[in-house]
Amino acid sequence: MNSFTRRRFLGLTGGVAALALAGCSTHAPGGSTDKGDLSGNKDGAMDAFKVGDQFKATDPLNFSIMMLSNPGYPYNAHWRFFTDLTKMTNVSLSATVVPLSDYNQKVGVMIGAGNAPMIIPKTYHPAEQQYISSGAILPVSDYLDLMPNYTAAVSKWNLQGDVDQLRQADGKYYLLPGLHQDVWVDYSIAVRTDILQKHGLSIPQTWDEVTGLLQALKAAYPGKFPMSDRWSSTPPGPGANSLLAILGAAYNTQAGWNYQHTTWSAAKGQFVYTGAMDEYRQLCQLLNGWVSQKLLDPESFTQSDTQAEQKFANGDSFVISANAQEVVNTYQKNLAGTPGATVQKIPVPTGPAGATKLGTRTENGVMISASARNSKNFVAMMQFIDWLFYSDAGKLFAKWGEQGVTYTGSVDDGTFKLEPDITWAGLNPSGKQNLQVAYGFFNGVFAYGGSTALLNSQFPAQELTFQQVMDSRKTLPLPPPAPLDAQAQQQTTLWGTSLLDYVNQQTLKFILGQRPLSQWDSYVNELKGMNMDKYVTAVNDAYANYKKNHG
Amino acid sequence: MVAATGPGAARTEPLRSGRSSRIQVGRGYRVFQVFNVLILLAVVAATLYPFLNLLAQSFSSETAIAAGHVDLIPKGFNLTTYKTVMSDPVFWENYRNTVEYTVVATLIAMVLTTCYAYVLSKRNLKGRGFLIGVAVFTMFFNGGLIPNYVLVNDLGLRNSLWAIVLPNAISVFNLLVMKAFFENLPSELEEAAAVDGLNTYGILLRIVLPLSKAVLATMVLFYAVSFWNSWFSAFLYMDHANYFPVTVYLRNLIAGATSGSNEGASSDTALQVAANIQAVTIVLTVLPILTFYPFIQKYFVSGVMLGAVKG
Amino acid sequence: MTIPRILEPPGSTQSGRAAAAARRTARARRRRTSWRKALRRDWRLYSLAVGPLLFFAVFRYLPMIGNVIAFRWYQPGGNLFGEYWVGLYYFQMFWDDPTFWHVFANTLILGALSLLFTFPAPVILALLLNEIRSSRFKRFVQSMSYLPHFLSIVVVAGIIMQLLSDTGPVNQLMQAVGHAPVEFLQQSGWFRQIYVSSEVWQTAGWGTILYLAALTTIDGQLYEQARIDGANRWQQTWHVTLPGIRPTMVTLLILNIGTFMAVGFEKILLLYNPLTYSTADVISTYLYRVGVQSGSFSYAAAIGLFESVIGLFLVVTANLISRRVVGTSLW
Repeated sequence: MNSFTRRRFLGLTGGVAALALAGCSTHAPGGSTDKGDLSGNKDGAMDAFKVGDQFKATDPLNFSIMMLSNPGYPYNAHWRFFTDLTKMTNVSLSATVVPLSDYNQKVGVMIGAGNAPMIIPKTYHPAEQQYISSGAILPVSDYLDLMPNYTAAVSKWNLQGDVDQLRQADGKYYLLPGLHQDVWVDYSIAVRTDILQKHGLSIPQTWDEVTGLLQALKAAYPGKFPMSDRWSSTPPGPGANSLLAILGAAYNTQAGWNYQHTTWSAAKGQFVYTGAMDEYRQLCQLLNGWVSQKLLDPESFTQSDTQAEQKFANGDSFVISANAQEVVNTYQKNLAGTPGATVQKIPVPTGPAGATKLGTRTENGVMISASARNSKNFVAMMQFIDWLFYSDAGKLFAKWGEQGVTYTGSVDDGTFKLEPDITWAGLNPSGKQNLQVAYGFFNGVFAYGGSTALLNSQFPAQELTFQQVMDSRKTLPLPPPAPLDAQAQQQTTLWGTSLLDYVNQQTLKFILGQRPLSQWDSYVNELKGMNMDKYVTAVNDAYANYKKNHG
Repeated sequence: MVAATGPGAARTEPLRSGRSSRIQVGRGYRVFQVFNVLILLAVVAATLYPFLNLLAQSFSSETAIAAGHVDLIPKGFNLTTYKTVMSDPVFWENYRNTVEYTVVATLIAMVLTTCYAYVLSKRNLKGRGFLIGVAVFTMFFNGGLIPNYVLVNDLGLRNSLWAIVLPNAISVFNLLVMKAFFENLPSELEEAAAVDGLNTYGILLRIVLPLSKAVLATMVLFYAVSFWNSWFSAFLYMDHANYFPVTVYLRNLIAGATSGSNEGASSDTALQVAANIQAVTIVLTVLPILTFYPFIQKYFVSGVMLGAVKG
Repeated sequence: MTIPRILEPPGSTQSGRAAAAARRTARARRRRTSWRKALRRDWRLYSLAVGPLLFFAVFRYLPMIGNVIAFRWYQPGGNLFGEYWVGLYYFQMFWDDPTFWHVFANTLILGALSLLFTFPAPVILALLLNEIRSSRFKRFVQSMSYLPHFLSIVVVAGIIMQLLSDTGPVNQLMQAVGHAPVEFLQQSGWFRQIYVSSEVWQTAGWGTILYLAALTTIDGQLYEQARIDGANRWQQTWHVTLPGIRPTMVTLLILNIGTFMAVGFEKILLLYNPLTYSTADVISTYLYRVGVQSGSFSYAAAIGLFESVIGLFLVVTANLISRRVVGTSLW
């Protein structure tokens, strides 16, 4: 009776309280190219801040920040991370603490109501898009000259193309992304290596070899499904979304949780509709083969993760999708009771696309409220963000803390080691002090991205071998930017939703054999009847417009 | 005067009608009684089983849960998750917040709802239709998330107890049910009291409320449970962890245990949150209500007052 | 001897007519009284209403201005009133969207089916409990029956998935009798049954609390009189018990009719998948997939207003019908 139905709060937003409307001012529409005069905003800033400098504000400053509190290491204002940060940079942070469970919603409400903090981290693209047309967030691409470390990283690691993916129709981007030197592949499939050994089977390298492996396992255990998958509840994909995602990459298309409506076809020089691609059909065909030969559990696409994990833990299945965390925390732990059981995440099998790696080099990042622009400490704030999130020193500090206190050695030459009493994830399991809980370092809000050396310092040995194999693979080329403007976005939203629903539904039907793949062409025609061509035209027009206006 | 009700009476008191019909009634009724008990036992099984399963899980080891071996008995009995949660001072601080919010909110909600329900139950009151309409309309039309947020913000209620208590003070559902109960009270009672010199407030306090213990107890239960379980208002209007109620704390724990997958290749670390955290959460939030409920149940004794009228 | 009033079937025209007559006099009396006289006579009553009215005004009606964005171009983070008027643009948008009507139909069907089964269940359970002699057993059953109300939706969805999985108890039972296993959650034909049964299971026990409270208000003497007149237990239930809880039942029924379109968003979200969209997709889940983009707030607000108008209309109609047919109503 007192329940706040989701429909209500997702739907009926907006409007204003007539009471005390003084606080609700109209924001100027975004998109002005004139970033204005910054002379009044330089209080506390360093005069000649450049790469390699330690940022230190000339006056003690305070910035408001949206602080996601992760239940694994709940926010603690007295963390050493914060005290040391203030000592080094002369900046203190006042945090609005938000639980992880509903972070995006709170961000949305606070921005919508006009009282969001200045710094909003943990923003995953394209979540920032909804706030752009109202001018509530800053077009950060206009202010890159205030951020030397960021620009240096982009040019050093050749990230311009990746960053361009974030650009909007006005040519600017509104999110400062996390930057990785190289693509970090985390998702693949994990197999019961002990079972493989028992039957003299080898680790598959290609998807065809995976099929062979599953067939061999089926022959050895006819009553079981060799593979029962998980991660079916994450949008936008239809189910078993991680498996579909890596298959999509292997087949030169996009699927699962990487599904996007349009895929860039370099051969045709334009975007095509993903769900209608022949490569997508091949993907469905492979999986349909697995299901009809009873190699893949048909429940994979709808069951909960718990159910899939249970089957794997009970030895009812032997292959499952995985990432590094899950292998250690879930699969190996659950199999601890089974003697001799070993689980290993294998390098992502390859397909027609060859030895490629799927992933992006940009990840979640920081949004900045437009109101921060008017603060007299604006320039100092940008420098602070630049130092903490993008400088080598800042990233190392946020991740591992201080040399001599929390770690010894250096990440660049492989001598890095955590102090023995300090534990984090798989490292130093016997340590008493948890790096994140006790000290506040390696906090997901601040510590992400960086050089490959920095990234490798966090991996245990098993994961390192996986990473080394994946590192040698080719990165897929990026599509050119084709951002839709607000008008086009509104128009295509409804088309997109029904198209996606239909693609998901039919994908599952094809895979599960409820619809024969011979009907593929009629399926494509049905998609055409749902405005597929109009959607693709809108995207291609956006691409052409962007190319014309911004080169 | 409490009337002796219950089917037992039918058999012990002699009926004016013939002996044969008494036996007939008895046998058919006894069969029904047996079926009744069976049905109710089935209901108990269906509702108790999942809860016992959860209880067992909360005391079981992770491997046993992961393999799906836990049924009604805990396997690998341990108190680890309970200890982890209950040794966290933040957990207790949040629990205290929950109790505080629930008590204050229920009190205010009960006062407002009872007053308004009593007013609405007076059929002769001019403007009654309008007053009812005011309430019913709000059941369907709602401003939405952001206007409510802006309002609470502008009233300066953020980060205070009142942000949780005030915006949800009256549930129109409870209001209308209470009104129906008040309307059902015989008007002779109030008329007699008025003759005796009591004014409206006196009648309400001395006559109506004591006679409405059942519905008042029910509404206290409904409001208390709803405030106890609510997390959304607190999540929205509180910006500091020490203001959160325990439901936000526990909800966050559950999210931490199940998140990570759709954030792609995030560099967030392994979360050592237990597999049975959901089970522990439910047990910890439900237990107080289960202990509180028997106190309410005693008000559901039949025929408390009405005999007093006749005479 | 004359048949006492209590043995007349509930809702008979005689009682209905009497009640209607009483209401008409009351209404006439209200209209005859002027405001000044009413205030002078009932000022204490009105004073009791001041606090609640203040609550409604500030916390319910003030934010309602927010619904204006259904008629304006709104961008999150911008002007809270929206940028400019677009009239019925968003209403047109959902009116023309065939998917909307499909999910609208699903919402109606799912809501109506839920109502059909979840409304009588607590009544029946309460009546069954009423027949139990041992108060200890009665209290035990009653306390256990409401436990599902406290299970979080995530846990309930998990339970349902486990029950209906390939290797779960239901399919094991089916295989034991020689039937092939059925993928219940992947077939749209099963979704409604699954949803409604889980709703009944979760709400029946909690719902009996109110009815048990209502049962206590029935005058014990009525039972006495019925017994003296030779009524057996079944007749007593029909002529005394049911009429006794009728006001509660009618109130709850009208309220539930008004809100029947508010089907459980979270539960459906956790249980549905693309294979079951045709029966499982409702307005709230559809809007969730439409997602959060700049125009979708206004779109969702327009749909929300549409649903609200329907709800209000249903409640008013239900109230009217109830007044004519049964004699009791909300107002």
